[in-house]
Amino acid sequence: MSKSFISYLIILIFLIAIFSCNTSQKITEDKITITFWHSFVSSTIPALNELITMFEKEYPEIKIRAQYIPTGDALIQKLITAVQSKTAPDISWLHSDFMQDLVEADAIYKMDEFIHGPDSISQADLNDIYPALIRYASWRGVLYSIPMEATNLALIYNKEMFRQAGLDPEHPPQTWEELHDFATKLTFDKDGDGKFEQVGLFLPIFPAAGPLSSWMVWQWLPYLWQADGEIINEEQTRVIFNEEPGVQALTLWQNIFNDLKLNTFTTDYDVAFASKHLAMSMDGPWNLPRFEKMMANLDWAFAPLPAGPKKRATVVGGEYLAIFKQSKYPNEAWKFLRWIIQPEIQAFWSMKSGYLPIRHAVSKIPEFQEYLNSHPNFKVFVEQMEVGQAQRPIDYYGIQITRYVAEAIEKATIGKMDPKMALDEAAIKANKLLSMVPREK
Amino acid sequence: MTSLRNKYFSFLTRTSLGWNFKKGRVSRRNLWSALLFLSPTLIIFATFIIFPVFFSFYLSFHEWNMFSSETSFVGLKNYSRMLSDPDFWQVLKHTFIYTFGTVPLNMVLSLMIAYLLNQKLIGKKFLRTALFAPVIISPVSAAVIWRWLYDPNFGLINYFISLFGIDTINWLNDPTAAMFALIVMGVWKTFGVNMVLFSAGLQAIPDSYYDAAQIDGAGRWAKFWYITIPLLSPTTFFIMVMSMISSFQVFDIVYVLTSGGPLGATKVLVFYLYEHAFKFFEMGYASAVAYFLFAILVVMTLIQVKYMKSSVYDVV
Repeated sequence: MSKSFISYLIILIFLIAIFSCNTSQKITEDKITITFWHSFVSSTIPALNELITMFEKEYPEIKIRAQYIPTGDALIQKLITAVQSKTAPDISWLHSDFMQDLVEADAIYKMDEFIHGPDSISQADLNDIYPALIRYASWRGVLYSIPMEATNLALIYNKEMFRQAGLDPEHPPQTWEELHDFATKLTFDKDGDGKFEQVGLFLPIFPAAGPLSSWMVWQWLPYLWQADGEIINEEQTRVIFNEEPGVQALTLWQNIFNDLKLNTFTTDYDVAFASKHLAMSMDGPWNLPRFEKMMANLDWAFAPLPAGPKKRATVVGGEYLAIFKQSKYPNEAWKFLRWIIQPEIQAFWSMKSGYLPIRHAVSKIPEFQEYLNSHPNFKVFVEQMEVGQAQRPIDYYGIQITRYVAEAIEKATIGKMDPKMALDEAAIKANKLLSMVPREK
Repeated sequence: MTSLRNKYFSFLTRTSLGWNFKKGRVSRRNLWSALLFLSPTLIIFATFIIFPVFFSFYLSFHEWNMFSSETSFVGLKNYSRMLSDPDFWQVLKHTFIYTFGTVPLNMVLSLMIAYLLNQKLIGKKFLRTALFAPVIISPVSAAVIWRWLYDPNFGLINYFISLFGIDTINWLNDPTAAMFALIVMGVWKTFGVNMVLFSAGLQAIPDSYYDAAQIDGAGRWAKFWYITIPLLSPTTFFIMVMSMISSFQVFDIVYVLTSGGPLGATKVLVFYLYEHAFKFFEMGYASAVAYFLFAILVVMTLIQVKYMKSSVYDVV
């Protein structure tokens, strides 16, 4: 046998191996498979699997293949690569920041095509969904995705610490003044070494350039709204976060940050809370199941965010499912979206996953009402949906503008810069970008 | 110069597949089969190295957001924008601070340890493995370890310094301390490689020199200074050039340890590049930054070759 013969043989074996891989995959594809990219935390996965099983029972011809994708920056990078390489999923969950890029790339369907299509949903159904979620799910007023669940932000506090500090544990802070006052009262230096062993309130200050920066801005938004502010003006021509409300909200954060010396406090707030170093923090419903396990020996509760100088508000978030144009089965993908927003399914999903329902009608289901009464912490979140607000969508340069706000928050807290100055500086940069947007007159 | 060329060609003739320079002809049959067998590597090399190098050069004169199928030519706009961006000069400064912080520290430390491990020591192999371990650990898990070490409330480092009555430092949240914290982790993460290189260099020095020095009455220090250091200089030079390059390219530990914060104090050049490429999707601008980084590295390496080469002993 010559050497070249052996080499050809090896190549042949490789080729056979490659092709046989392909055919073995085909055998399992007798059903329509819908790929669904999501970023649910591991504790939610069992609930998701249950949900998918329910759907597959109802629609036996469809199989949902749920795949975990890291959220945040990684998600949009992955989506871009997938769209470019024609391997996009059928359904993916999105953040509203990404909408512009995906729409401009013509990567996702308008929901109208399905809403008025053969598997239609009624206008009444759509109107039942919280308006804040619809706003996030749209881009420039056009609906491009469907919310799957909602979240919002509330205050978690340690009742035991309230008692120790002489505060009423059934009276969580109601106003900004109380928030600041309670936070200071709950902060002490037990052994007198000049370092606080217990801190009253955690503020989420993270590096503006890092993956947590939009998470920081998201938590700052309710304070901006409570003072009646907004990030950008109605016409989308300039940012307005540096006006009086923004300055008030950032000054509050700066004062608390300085008074509690948060610059020498850990950023692992949940560990700090669980280990009795922290009295109050902000968090969402997704952590409820985890906290119930992790902090079973602590006396804690959730409360609505305090009201600001102008009104009550919390920030609403959610996950929005979009259908990609590269999907081979857009109609089947739509069936999943349509199925998932039904009140009964929403109630089931909400009770299983700890996420909030996306529509008013769910609260009228007796089973769900019962559940709320036995889960007071969860009830706080559901009730808070009524004051839940969506950010005014930023049609252009959303990612950059959010970044500038994050930089301003970081500068005012860690950098001890004057809040007005920090916000003005960010506004100049943001307005410079907005001036580059081509505008039709 | 000619001797170098001869060396190079003799190397080629010894290793080339198919080409026979001495005879001056190419055996076509061998060439094809060589290419065939090399094709997996060649294809990967071409797609992931050669193509991106040229494509990113092309992109540096264009604007492209990765989504759209077309790019628009903007000439030198990306480069001029870069040079007029104050953030860019900031990150460049941070990169220099990081490089001039890590490289000397790294080299002194790895030489010291390599020298100690070259002596007769019990548990030498274990020590060498343990000290090399940080190189193998994934940067993400390493950063998680260091995040905890640096934690202001629960961190070991703050606990130790508190024993000496020093106030808590929030290493990763204090603009001045964060760069220092990053340099320390950077050195810890990379000195293992240099340690191995120095060890190899040390073992290549013949014992006879030390024996001769011994007879002449040289002490430990004199031997180190007059024999080890000069004979090690080719290795030292190589390590310096390579660590300089890799420090300039630092990214992963910055991303996971400090994310460029606080207040952008640890934002380095590649982090800035990453941000523009994969957060703001300005591929053209990011490519321009990449080519600027390339230019800096070329200049720095040339300077080192020009001014340091004379102090390198060419023993071979």
